Amino acid sequence: MSAEELLEKLSDVVIKGKIKEAKPLAEEALAAGASPEVIIFDALSKAMGVVGQKYESKQYFLPQVLLAAQTMYQALDVVLPQLKAGSAADTAAKVVIGVVEGDVHDIGKNIVKAMLTGAGYTIFDMGRDCPTKNMIDKVKAEGANIVATSSLMTPTLAAMKEIERILAEENLKPQVKSIIGGGATTKDFAAQIGADAWAYDAVEAVEVVKNLLK
Amino acid sequence: MTPKERFLGALARKEMDRPAVGCVTQSVTVDQMEWAGVEWPAAHTDAQMMAKLGIAGAKVFGFENARVPFCLTVEAEAFGATVDLGNRVKTPMLKAHPYSSEDEPAIPEGFLEKGRVATAIEAVKILKAEYGEEYPIVAGTTGPLTIAGHLVGTEDLLLMMITEPDTVHKFIKVTAEMEKQYIAALVAAGVDVINMSDPSASTDMLSAEMFDEFALPYTKHAFEGCGDAKKILHICGNTTSLLEHMINTGADGLSIEEKVDSAEAVNIVNGRVALVGNIGSVKPLYMGTPEECAADAARIRDAGFNIIAPGCGLAAETPKANIEAFVKTIKG
Ligand SMILES: [Zn+2]
Repeated sequence: MSAEELLEKLSDVVIKGKIKEAKPLAEEALAAGASPEVIIFDALSKAMGVVGQKYESKQYFLPQVLLAAQTMYQALDVVLPQLKAGSAADTAAKVVIGVVEGDVHDIGKNIVKAMLTGAGYTIFDMGRDCPTKNMIDKVKAEGANIVATSSLMTPTLAAMKEIERILAEENLKPQVKSIIGGGATTKDFAAQIGADAWAYDAVEAVEVVKNLLK
Repeated sequence: MTPKERFLGALARKEMDRPAVGCVTQSVTVDQMEWAGVEWPAAHTDAQMMAKLGIAGAKVFGFENARVPFCLTVEAEAFGATVDLGNRVKTPMLKAHPYSSEDEPAIPEGFLEKGRVATAIEAVKILKAEYGEEYPIVAGTTGPLTIAGHLVGTEDLLLMMITEPDTVHKFIKVTAEMEKQYIAALVAAGVDVINMSDPSASTDMLSAEMFDEFALPYTKHAFEGCGDAKKILHICGNTTSLLEHMINTGADGLSIEEKVDSAEAVNIVNGRVALVGNIGSVKPLYMGTPEECAADAARIRDAGFNIIAPGCGLAAETPKANIEAFVKTIKG
């Protein structure tokens, strides 16, 4: 198979969640001369975009999306170590993402992470129930462009407010943009606390982050 | 008419001069804690305190039901999950899952006499003895699918619906049987209405086909424990396309969120079950104004809901004035 055909096939494997086929295919694509960047942007990115569309149109539900994400990560395990320093993918915008302190619901965050990874960003995953300080420290340490937080529990919304306060206080804005999401949040709330953006779901989050980085 | 007659009448879809008003999802707020002189997290593990907070919604705000317990982690904890009981304003949450997918789950021996399962059953007995004539007692329970997610991790459970459906069935089968036994014990203790919340069965997570495979039969099984008690099924999110499937569980009432258009829900359900809800818990109840809450309650009443209630669990810090406004709109 040509590199092009392999990329096509890899994309299809991610969309269909054929998890065992991802690694060998990514290796074959590399061997056939596809660069890591091309694999990320032309196969994985495209595939996650299709998965997002299928989720929006209710052809896919969370199980299919999660499986596609896992499949993509398998391919990334092969491809990322091959990335050369200074390449476009290596210098892509950096996103620190996490579930705020006090909340352990992280499926939504994981989906957003998968979509943003698929879109080619460099992601620093702070996990769930993450203290505000750790989140900010990571933003500073990595020189992140975006801090993305999620909350499903109303009592933890205060942590999002706190993140905004620290970002402002430490003059991290406007270099660092903030985006929030999750069941307990609303667009109004985002505006109220001074977050730069809010997204309804993971698919919208990709668009919103793209706009924030313009 | 007592609140009990009205609430149960509404749930049976009887003609009445007005709908009932109450809360079948998490209903405790800080104002109720103040009235009761009892706070979270202590009330999660003490039957007297739990009962006191369970009636507080009725005493402080005029809800036409009592309700215990206050979270969806009781069952998972009985299975051995690690739970952080939270604080005064934060509900308990799961810290660790007790099982991995290869394990054989088992109903914990003697679970009805232990831990917070026993606390909830005891609290129901206290409520029944003190307020059982006047108020219907609602017990909040967790759907078998959601409990199974708590046992192995919801994300893993969802993934396995595609990769290892048999494993998923293996877990939900056990949680459904446990839930049936727990419900039967709650009903024997005096519960009038079981509200079963199954957030992991939401349309944000599953297709209707997946719901029919992984939730419906098990919800039905767990509901068998209800006997003569009434059954309400609560599922979060926009359940418009799921209402038909929810009716198939045999529930007497469906508790739904504000993401469902109230009039459309009434249309779809068409008198086959009672509708409970669907004032937004975050907006307007937590973050909106009393005027918005009152307007929403009136709109939902006019749409034809049987029990006007928050669409999902109340946040503990929901403003007093917002709750008062929606209750007053219905009671006049
Ligand atoms: Zn809900």
